[in-house]
Amino acid sequence: MLSEEQALRHISTGSGDLDSILGGGIHCKEVTEIGGVPGIGKTQLGIQLAINVQIPYDFGGLGGKAIYIDTEGSFMAERAYQIAEASILDTFDNFGCQLKEIPEKLKAESFLANIFYFRICSYTEQIALINYLDQFLVEHKDVKIVIIDSVTFHFRQDFDDLALRTRVLGGMSQKLMNLAKKFSLSVVLMNQVTTKFTEGSFHLTLALGDSWSHSCTNRVILYWNGNDRYAYLDKSPYLRPASVHFSVTGKGIRDATSQCKRVRMM
Amino acid sequence: MASIPPKPENPLHLHTTKLTLGCPILDSFLGGGIPCGSITELVGESSAGKTQLCLQLLLSSLLPPSLGGLSSPSLYIYSEPPFPLRRLLRLSLPSLPPRPLDHIFVRPAHSADDLLSLLSHLPDSLPVRLIIIDSIAALFRSEFDNTPRDLKSRSSLFFKIATKLKDRARKLGAAVVVTNHVVDVVEAECGGARCLWSSGRRVVPALGLAWSHCVNTRVFLTRSEGMVRSSNGEECEVRTRRMHVVFSPCSPERSCEFAIVGHGVLGVG
Repeated sequence: MLSEEQALRHISTGSGDLDSILGGGIHCKEVTEIGGVPGIGKTQLGIQLAINVQIPYDFGGLGGKAIYIDTEGSFMAERAYQIAEASILDTFDNFGCQLKEIPEKLKAESFLANIFYFRICSYTEQIALINYLDQFLVEHKDVKIVIIDSVTFHFRQDFDDLALRTRVLGGMSQKLMNLAKKFSLSVVLMNQVTTKFTEGSFHLTLALGDSWSHSCTNRVILYWNGNDRYAYLDKSPYLRPASVHFSVTGKGIRDATSQCKRVRMM
Repeated sequence: MASIPPKPENPLHLHTTKLTLGCPILDSFLGGGIPCGSITELVGESSAGKTQLCLQLLLSSLLPPSLGGLSSPSLYIYSEPPFPLRRLLRLSLPSLPPRPLDHIFVRPAHSADDLLSLLSHLPDSLPVRLIIIDSIAALFRSEFDNTPRDLKSRSSLFFKIATKLKDRARKLGAAVVVTNHVVDVVEAECGGARCLWSSGRRVVPALGLAWSHCVNTRVFLTRSEGMVRSSNGEECEVRTRRMHVVFSPCSPERSCEFAIVGHGVLGVG
């Protein structure tokens, strides 16, 4: 019973503005793709979600655990610790609790220990791990988010046969969608960008090709607007496209602090 | 045939070792030093200080961990001969072991395929904890045209090389440093890359967007020249060198001034 109620909750991104264009945050039972250029904040957002999924049920969160699949080596435990500390403090601030009331299990150390971290070094390892997740999730039913950062890296080499790559990617995305539904958790996939030559000029587009774009329920694109970070909801089954200014701070992902922040509905 | 299921790690036990740059200001600027287990790219125009920093790292990796070193030998792969031996000999650090050059392995690489082959054939018993590639850009200069097919195969090589480097970084707990050049930006839009000014030119790192996805940390070294009026009213030329963190998993975007003096690279704080 609790699991069903848990699944209705969204995982906060740390930025209230970003949460609002996402309809409250990242959804369970769905696959959300997050794409953007290097340095825009994909890994930062991934770590933030791995922490925020753990916000206790009594404090509006899911009280769940996280699986973080790192294919690029950008996950830094020290940064995750920093983000966890800030998230715990902000959560308790919002609920008006005093510091001395935070129980031991809600210290940053516990949050880190609740992240099942896998470092993946090839596409075969990636496929093998995703195939294994079903068994792992049966044994760890408290996992409420699976993050793959990035889903792309190991697929940008060694595939001379693009049709084969499309089949492998298709199989992988189907498995991930099934896991999201079966275990009522959210799957978040980080993607890279590439340039595509269409209509006489180069455009930035998400990697992995056109067929991949059907693989996710939701798609969020992170991009630079001058020196400001923006997120654009590009695909959603029921939400309108919208973009919002957000920032990456020492505490993690947060609302933009500048006065000219705005949520722009398209 | 039973297969071993993958085992997750606990992030509480995943401490990132950092290699000192030999200067506390620069170390602090980079969030502790050059991280082990990932690829750090130093990008800048010629004479920006990339090689100088690399040579400094070759020495600092020999320091004991208590001083921010790795107590280990290094591998320096160079693509633009000759190896800068004279510059290395002019550098020194306190507390180095005797005969530091005995602990530095040096190899030339003539092409991207050559580098790939070199990395594939590194013996597992080679205990290096610092691998430097100086520079990656020179390996791709003349081999590829701008046809979509060549760009694709070039891109594929980037990811293959990056995968091998990250693999070594992870297995050996090694820091990997790669230097890259810059190219001028002519259009108003820089595309995916953030551009910076160096020596009066608007520049972006070479090798494009695909390569930028292959590195974990990007540090941009820039130079600028300007005139400053000194306290006695005279105008003098000032050369400023700056180091910019463009992106990093463990440090925010920021920049810091540095100088190259006889015995090395120092932060100016």
